[in-house]
Amino acid sequence: MRPVTVVVPIVAVLALLPAILSGYHISFMIQMFMWVALAGSWNLISGLTGYVSFGHVAFFGVGTYTAALLITKAGWHWLAAGLAGCIPAMLLALVIGYPCLRLKGPYFAISMLGLNEVVRALVSYFEGFTGGGSGISLPPIVAIVPVYYAMAAAAIVVTVVTYLIITSRFGLRLLAIREDELAADAMGINTAAYKLYAFLLSAAFPGIVGGFYAWYASHVEPMSVFPLITTITMIIMCLFGGSGTVLGPVLGAVLLSIMQELVWARFLWVHQALLGALIVAVVLLMPRGILGILRHHFRLPRAI
Amino acid sequence: MPEASILEIKDVVKRFGGITAVNHCSLSIGAGKIHGLIGPNGSGKTTLFNCITGLERLQGGEIRFKGERIDGLKPYQVARRGIGRTFQIIRVFPQLTTFENLLAVTTDPIEVARKRAEELLSFVTLTRLKDEYAGNLSYGQQKLLEFIRVLMTDPELILLDEPAAGVNRTLLNELLTAMTRLRDAGKTILIVEHDMKVVMGLCEAVYVLDYGEKIAEGPPSVIRSNERVIEAYFGR
Repeated sequence: MRPVTVVVPIVAVLALLPAILSGYHISFMIQMFMWVALAGSWNLISGLTGYVSFGHVAFFGVGTYTAALLITKAGWHWLAAGLAGCIPAMLLALVIGYPCLRLKGPYFAISMLGLNEVVRALVSYFEGFTGGGSGISLPPIVAIVPVYYAMAAAAIVVTVVTYLIITSRFGLRLLAIREDELAADAMGINTAAYKLYAFLLSAAFPGIVGGFYAWYASHVEPMSVFPLITTITMIIMCLFGGSGTVLGPVLGAVLLSIMQELVWARFLWVHQALLGALIVAVVLLMPRGILGILRHHFRLPRAI
Repeated sequence: MPEASILEIKDVVKRFGGITAVNHCSLSIGAGKIHGLIGPNGSGKTTLFNCITGLERLQGGEIRFKGERIDGLKPYQVARRGIGRTFQIIRVFPQLTTFENLLAVTTDPIEVARKRAEELLSFVTLTRLKDEYAGNLSYGQQKLLEFIRVLMTDPELILLDEPAAGVNRTLLNELLTAMTRLRDAGKTILIVEHDMKVVMGLCEAVYVLDYGEKIAEGPPSVIRSNERVIEAYFGR
């Protein structure tokens, strides 16, 4: 089965959905697409190379602020401003990735956590430019269907890019780094360069999605766009579905978004506790995730 | 020595804290032969391999491959110059399939790489395990996989760290045949090995390390009766 035969019907269905969905459900779908794109982006660096990023929300947050500033101060169209969100996100990834991707295991994870705190502090500090702690208000959003399409496109592009990477030798080399970096290096793979490429890609999409989110939310502030819980949610979605696979992050993001909507929203007070319990359960019982388990037993092709 | 040497190790020093793992060691590895590197445990054989392949930085001396300095290069750069190696402890990529393990390491066009991988798999009779995860293979099969993974990039110099350890007789004979064939095809091979039968039967030149120093070199027949070698292995 060629990937086109899978993607085309999905695109068609998603394109028609806004015609029959209520505004509430369209909002739900927008957030779900956002999570698919974010979990998929995290997967590109952490799922493939094994370098666990605990600060991925920083790229999202930088994207939201970039778009908010371009829209309010420079009068850009929200779509262009959103796409522009990838540029500072990738620059940030370049600056932090070059030194920090040399760190192994928990040291890299912690350095990324630190990065997010630094960026959040800087954004809060430069009040004149960023509005400090109170953030930036954007014009109220009138039509959400265009945002729906933009987010859906982002989710699909991330997934297609993941597919293209995993089924290529570039992807095999990233997996080789995850499996045994020293051996990969000794076999002639320029591990430092490969990790940086993957990291730049994985930072670009959260920047864009963050840009769209700024327009959708009509307001950005440090507390709402740099929370650690956003990174943790990306991670848990990716692990739940199966990290290092093409459809794992999609599956994880869709299932957890639906679960969140159906179950957790009704038990608001235990929401965080349930998420925490789920993290423990996934890590303990199914560290490979749904697709990882299936792959182990049924030898799924890499393309899934 | 009249023949051209492909690898020149000159006065190499490597220390770890107070321990001198390689101590002013010099070797000249002639092209197109199988060479053996032997010595008691902890004599610096693997460290010397690590120095050659860029995994360790030298504290003194120099290493030349085909006349050019390679000490100071990163491991992937050394590999791309044409030096391939295996590890004492197997280092295949466990969650990649056998076939993917081979494809991941070459930059040849994909069709060329596939063809070569197929050939190498049949060379060591692993073809039926092509799509199995490398981590599921037996110890001996992983050893074979690691061996042919080195050959994927067609290196001129092949460093094998204990290729015979833990390998059964049949498999060992296959490996030995493979090495002889590679030598006949013009490759240079340097092996670290504890199995004296393997070393004496296979190698044309043997170097003996003890406490990081080269204490003897020569053809196996001469090494076997060398007093310092016997002393290093069995004590006085």
